[in-house]
Amino acid sequence: MLQVENLTKLYAAEDSGGIRGIGFDVAAGEFYTLLGPSGCGKSTTLRSVAGLEEPSSGRVTLDNRVIFDFDKSVFVPANQRRLGMVFQSYAVWPHMNVFDNTAFPLRMARDRRWSKADIQKRVMRTLETMGLAALAERSAAQLSGGQQQRLALARALVGEPRLLLLDEPLSNLDALLREQMRSELRRLQKEVGVTAVYVTHDQSEALALSDRIAIMHNGAIVQIGAPRQIYDQPRNAFVATFVGRSNLLPGKLVSRDEQAIQIATVLGPVLCKGPTPTGGPAPGAALIRPEHVILKAIGAGPGEAAINRFRGRVVQLAFLGESTECVVQIGDVSIVVRGLAGQYSGADDVEAFFPPERTSAIVIDDK
Amino acid sequence: MALRRYPLKVVLLIGLLSAGIIPPFVFLIYSSLHQLDADGAFGALTFANFTAIFNDRSLGTTLVNSVLYPLGAALVALSVGAAQAWLAERTDATFRQILYVAAIISLGVPYVLYIVAWLLLLSKAGPVNAILAQLFGGTGPYIDVYSLGGMMFVEGMLWSPLAFLLLSPVFRNSDASFEEAASICGAGLFSTLRHITMGMARPALLAFGLLAFIKASEAFEVPALVGLPGSKRVLTSTIYQTLTLSIPPDNGSASAFGVLLLIIMAILLQIYNRVAAQTYRYQTVTGKGFRPRVVRLGRWRYAAGALIVAIPLVVVVVPLATILWAALLPYYQPFSVAALPKLGVANFVQVLHSRSFQSSIVNTLVLGASAATLVTALSVIAGWCVARRMRGSAVLDTLAALPLVFPAIVLGLAFLQIFVHGGTHIYGTLLSLVIASTVAYMPYGLRYAQLGVIQIHPELEEAAAIAGARQGTAFLQIVLPLLVPAMISCWLFVFLIAVRAVSLMLLLVGPDSQIVAVTLFDFWNNGQIGELAALGCVWTAIMTVFSVAFLVLARRFQLPLG
Repeated sequence: MLQVENLTKLYAAEDSGGIRGIGFDVAAGEFYTLLGPSGCGKSTTLRSVAGLEEPSSGRVTLDNRVIFDFDKSVFVPANQRRLGMVFQSYAVWPHMNVFDNTAFPLRMARDRRWSKADIQKRVMRTLETMGLAALAERSAAQLSGGQQQRLALARALVGEPRLLLLDEPLSNLDALLREQMRSELRRLQKEVGVTAVYVTHDQSEALALSDRIAIMHNGAIVQIGAPRQIYDQPRNAFVATFVGRSNLLPGKLVSRDEQAIQIATVLGPVLCKGPTPTGGPAPGAALIRPEHVILKAIGAGPGEAAINRFRGRVVQLAFLGESTECVVQIGDVSIVVRGLAGQYSGADDVEAFFPPERTSAIVIDDK
Repeated sequence: MALRRYPLKVVLLIGLLSAGIIPPFVFLIYSSLHQLDADGAFGALTFANFTAIFNDRSLGTTLVNSVLYPLGAALVALSVGAAQAWLAERTDATFRQILYVAAIISLGVPYVLYIVAWLLLLSKAGPVNAILAQLFGGTGPYIDVYSLGGMMFVEGMLWSPLAFLLLSPVFRNSDASFEEAASICGAGLFSTLRHITMGMARPALLAFGLLAFIKASEAFEVPALVGLPGSKRVLTSTIYQTLTLSIPPDNGSASAFGVLLLIIMAILLQIYNRVAAQTYRYQTVTGKGFRPRVVRLGRWRYAAGALIVAIPLVVVVVPLATILWAALLPYYQPFSVAALPKLGVANFVQVLHSRSFQSSIVNTLVLGASAATLVTALSVIAGWCVARRMRGSAVLDTLAALPLVFPAIVLGLAFLQIFVHGGTHIYGTLLSLVIASTVAYMPYGLRYAQLGVIQIHPELEEAAAIAGARQGTAFLQIVLPLLVPAMISCWLFVFLIAVRAVSLMLLLVGPDSQIVAVTLFDFWNNGQIGELAALGCVWTAIMTVFSVAFLVLARRFQLPLG
């Protein structure tokens, strides 16, 4: 559906969202997310696909039609790409009412002349889907944040675009509304069947919404995969720490085979599940997510093999509502442990266990 | 690639602006370097104009005056303006609203009228000296207004309403938590005021003081009307004298003075831009939970209230009352009960019936409206290109800001050279005045439009592009409607300054293009005080409508006032 190849766009200032050699494919109907910290180039990538930025190399193909090719000097301007886009600020035009905002793309359409009656019908149908039909005559300046968000989405979808682009659309909403809109967004996208490219810096949004995620860092894509895959098999330390919380124990590779990898860390040897991704540099750290660490009061329970078991002391305990989180000091290292319901009695001296099947060996930096 | 070139609209604007802005420089420099032949044509190349200036022994005094006078004027404007701004914005003093009303009215009063009022009030036989004589005995006079001090005072008074309007946002926008923090630390009302409020406003005060200094350095009205009779010359009035005292007018020397002044202005503006940029950085440091606080003055409340009544009284009411008094008398005499029976409306009747007064009022309105319309139209498109950083917009920005280095009297002189020697036949027409005003006020218009566009989020335009709109369509349907408030207040601002000043027009008007400000100036020089005052009253009434409209809009849409 959408092919992006080797896009580069550099700005005068370093780390200001430039991109180098970005490439990815989006399948029809897919919800595809570009996830990364601010300044990683995700918005630049999206704006290049939209035609709002002109990259200095590369190619973009949409529906088998080349819309940008640097080498052949092809640049289809944004207004001819037939896209829908939801902006971070919503960009709802304050001097028009809800109806006129939504009708604008139809009135601008080049491939078809819309009659007044058709516009009326199509706009009202779209507004109904968004739950805005009752507000059609309302001035856009009088809408609440959530309503503006829906209006922006209505305007983006009304012309049945080939591709829907979303630039951090939920970041201006408050927490409750954000979760509401998140599930609604996902439902709508599947219902309409539009292909969507979504940009965000919020990992929980990305994990909840996406079919696939491309993690970006310093203007390049670091890893592409389904949400579960990204979470369970982060490709390097950056992905591991950016997506989800993690305990990272740097160390040296001791041995590896198909079943297990052993890393020598400051705590001692840690056994991780294998295999590591083939090729690339050797793993340099053991990773265990806070919810996978198992805590036991010392002495309790049957004495199992001493693999991946370390003695430590609970130095901090925080009740977070649905779970409890604590910090365990093991030697010089602090480990975060989460979700202790029922397994931790409250003793100060504990044994922390990293189940090998939940512990992974990852590379620090694969460049 | 084709995209490397400038967009067509930028190229067209650059061409149009260059045509208006470059020739004044060329003609001024050219005429400063050439002899003037007896028939008024340019003669041989010469440096004599410049050497004559530097050999003149009075140059030293003129330069010293040119520094002292704006300095004093800036201090007067700054202290009166800042005091008003603080009282109006940050205290619970009584009668605060009066300050705004007074400032609004004064925006529409022509400089000449205002200066004349002060000259009448402070003259040797005027009421102020009379009162002082009563108080201290003796015969006086105690005050000589035709002095450097008099110039500073009158110019400062002229500027204080604008100082108030420009400085009040500074106090309005400063977060209360800074002052509350000082109170918690044990500081009282006056130490908080001195160390925190004024301390934080200092960069803005400095920037405004510098602006007032620059404006006073290039001012012409006060130096001409107050300075010249007392033989206190500054650079701008020297230019005027050089042109009027000799026959034929000594364009060469005047232009040489003009070039000198241009260089000084360029340096001053450079410094101002630096200072203003710093101010901006300072102002962005605001607390998060923003909330201005009103200072409770307690028992000082009524003292402050008295001050609030006194300031507009001195700045606006007394001068205007003096003018009204003069307008109602057949021939001028200072206020006295004995003169009351002589009051009548003869001057008004004459002014309202005279064809030449009527045409002068119509001319001025046409001039103001045309210049304001042209400036607004050009600067909306230019401001959009600059704010959106289109290719070539940096050139556009620099070009449109160039007229700022011209003091109005020098720009008038430069345009005089163009209209006389430039091969056109528009000298003395209303059209020539419109052209000169449009060029002179482009920088203000551009600043307005640019700020207006910056307030429009770029994503609003990008959304239109994504929706399939061409750039032109997006401009017409999205940008322009949203710019309407900025455009209206830009129009009103240019209109108000275009009709107010005398200096740009003085050298350019012809018999068929008389305008109000210049007519007033001529009346004063001819001693026709009654007609001057009557025309001034009528004009001030008309202008007040415009200035009220401007201020209401500017406040509603939070646009800058200067």
